[in-house]
Amino acid sequence: MEKQVMTPTIKPEVVGKKKPFVPKKRREFLSRKASDKLWFWLFLMPVLIPFLLMVITPFITGIYYSFTNWTGGLAPTEWVGLDNYRGLTSDHRFIYSFYRTVIYAILNVLAINLVAFALALLVTRKLKLTNFYRAGFFLPNLIGGLVIGYLWSFIYRIVLGASGLGLFSSSPLVSRYAMFALVAVVTWQYAGYIMMIYIAALQNIPEDLIEASQIDGANALQRLRNITLPLVAQAFTVALFLTLVTAFKQFDTVFSLTRGGPDIDIPVWLQNALGMEFPRAVGSTRLVAFQIYNWGISRGNFAVAQAQAVVFFVLLSVISLGQVYFNKKREVEL
Amino acid sequence: MKKFLLLSVAVLFTFVLFACTTSDDNGDDTPGTTPLVIYQNKVEIDDVLSAYAEAWGLANDVEVQVRTCGGDACGYADQIIAEFNAANQPDIFVFEGLGQFLQYQNKIMPLDGEEWIDYTDVAFVYDGTVYGFPVNFEGWGMAYNADMLAAAGVDPASLVNRAAYATAFQAIADHFADDENFNAPVSMAAGPGLTWVTGLHNFNGYLSSGLDYDDRTVIDNLLNGVADNARLEALADWVELLFDYAALPYLTEGSYDDMINNFKLQRTAFVHQGNWIDPNLLQDGGIDFEVGYAPHASGLGDVDSIFVGAPSYYAVNPDGNNPELAKQFLNDMAMTEAGHQYMVVDAGYVPAFTNVELIPTGPLSAAVYEWSSEGNIYAWWQNDMPPGFGMDDLGPVYFQFAQGQIDKEQFIQRIRSEIMDLAD
Repeated sequence: MEKQVMTPTIKPEVVGKKKPFVPKKRREFLSRKASDKLWFWLFLMPVLIPFLLMVITPFITGIYYSFTNWTGGLAPTEWVGLDNYRGLTSDHRFIYSFYRTVIYAILNVLAINLVAFALALLVTRKLKLTNFYRAGFFLPNLIGGLVIGYLWSFIYRIVLGASGLGLFSSSPLVSRYAMFALVAVVTWQYAGYIMMIYIAALQNIPEDLIEASQIDGANALQRLRNITLPLVAQAFTVALFLTLVTAFKQFDTVFSLTRGGPDIDIPVWLQNALGMEFPRAVGSTRLVAFQIYNWGISRGNFAVAQAQAVVFFVLLSVISLGQVYFNKKREVEL
Repeated sequence: MKKFLLLSVAVLFTFVLFACTTSDDNGDDTPGTTPLVIYQNKVEIDDVLSAYAEAWGLANDVEVQVRTCGGDACGYADQIIAEFNAANQPDIFVFEGLGQFLQYQNKIMPLDGEEWIDYTDVAFVYDGTVYGFPVNFEGWGMAYNADMLAAAGVDPASLVNRAAYATAFQAIADHFADDENFNAPVSMAAGPGLTWVTGLHNFNGYLSSGLDYDDRTVIDNLLNGVADNARLEALADWVELLFDYAALPYLTEGSYDDMINNFKLQRTAFVHQGNWIDPNLLQDGGIDFEVGYAPHASGLGDVDSIFVGAPSYYAVNPDGNNPELAKQFLNDMAMTEAGHQYMVVDAGYVPAFTNVELIPTGPLSAAVYEWSSEGNIYAWWQNDMPPGFGMDDLGPVYFQFAQGQIDKEQFIQRIRSEIMDLAD
């Protein structure tokens, strides 16, 4: 029974030429085009409906709330126009958190991609236990960011601190190097994932190109510069985009590792720009996502937090799309 | 074939949708009744409150559900908003003072006329109307290790001003100088994540030290952006003294556990914490030294009281399914022996009601009970500050001071400017 049904689908053209489809067509419930469309939407539904409900709807209502005094549904909502946005221009904490996030993103993107690419070069060589190394480098990525933060706050304070190996006299998490401590942890977590992208790209480089260059007498460095790098440019675009966006959205590890601290004086140039009499305390690792969370949840100021989130969205979109646009230009088609 | 596939996908899809919408229907609810829902924030009493609620429910023929969201894993303040927007809103929930009261105002029902109101001084009152049932009394001062103080020749009764504290701290530091276990006189924390210790608890000294229990002058001025310079200087002197004698490196980089353990393991003679650390002190073999409370010397003159208040209140939600039952539940907790048994013995609370005869057993809770039954208490106003002000605006200034980034003058100046920012 089944075989009879299956055979015509294997070679449809041959069968189609021999037997016209007249009787079947009569039985068609819908025209071919309409039925295709129906199928298309039917298969799309299971993702489209949640996407509309969980992403698009909150996104649009969120933009609406940023123009109101919304309190999370506890009090009547009133339209306040641009008030929430106007307040942001003099909010030293928000502006500073943006400045710190940009610094963090630059450090983080550099660190992760350098480490990931180096690891990828290493594990694509003909080593013993390559797969073991790959799995090992990838493993930290399977642990949640919150857990990693708590884990490393223990490592920094106890294991590497004065009472442990004594690498640090005081915890780096409350020193001026807290940002670097954060970057190190996130790199440890995320580099393995980005490494996988680079491995895939490196393995796609045709052997013959490499062999040809070797015959022409290119050394390892020349091969890397003139063959490997241009051919993995596509992977760079993807990896840079991913690392940039996740760096800007960094929340969980900050929350559990540094809680936005340590608090330091706002830089003099920003103090002057904002017209402050004397410096005020700001959190040196309080990145934008954490700042928004804090403003909404801890202070119950949901509408202002929402306005901050909208500004954040616009700036992040511009930065990340700009990055993709410029990187695309450097890619080489084989 | 195709039609069959189409049909099965459609059936599967509707089934999934259907399953999602009906998954919370257990089918074993008694028809016509909805359970009384209590949504609370203390993980440590979840078991005993559930047991008490179940017994109360059996006696009154209602189902009572206790749901808990607290600790590190669940943020009560954000989850409660979601609960309010859900179909089955909690009947009883928790709020922590004026800041949250104003935020949740539309979800809090007046409780005037309830029997328990006559038996407490700390019901939450706003504009002359009672809105909150005090969960318990909590208190903090300088919790001390009586044995260490005695060894160093310090009389805890003498600790009534900063000069006396300075002498005592120095005496303790000198006496234990050769003891390898000893770290410093005071266990204190000012790091990120512990700003509630500084920005809320320590700063409450500025708001209430030396004042009558119902004196709102300083907090009301603060809410209008007016700072009291003399009180700020007194506070700064006190903070400087505490930081000078605090255990390092825990002051800026320690955790909550470090703070308690240093006291528990007798590395410090004082801890800047409240009676809620009793469970920590009692676990793992407990402590074999006497403890007590001495007042915070953050007032202008001598101080004679510790900070005692209701940390949180139960509120009845008018949009819940059983507001009347909820009122009865709360009333029974305060007015029946079973309720007293639950509050004092099972939950280990210091009771906020005068008709309770039982005495709490936790060492620091007993000390708080002693101070409060003698009436030597200063108020808690820290929760009347706007949400986040203490922990996110004041806490960082304390941290900078603790780390030596700023001096005392700058500390005063910055706290003052944070207060001035509260003016509209």
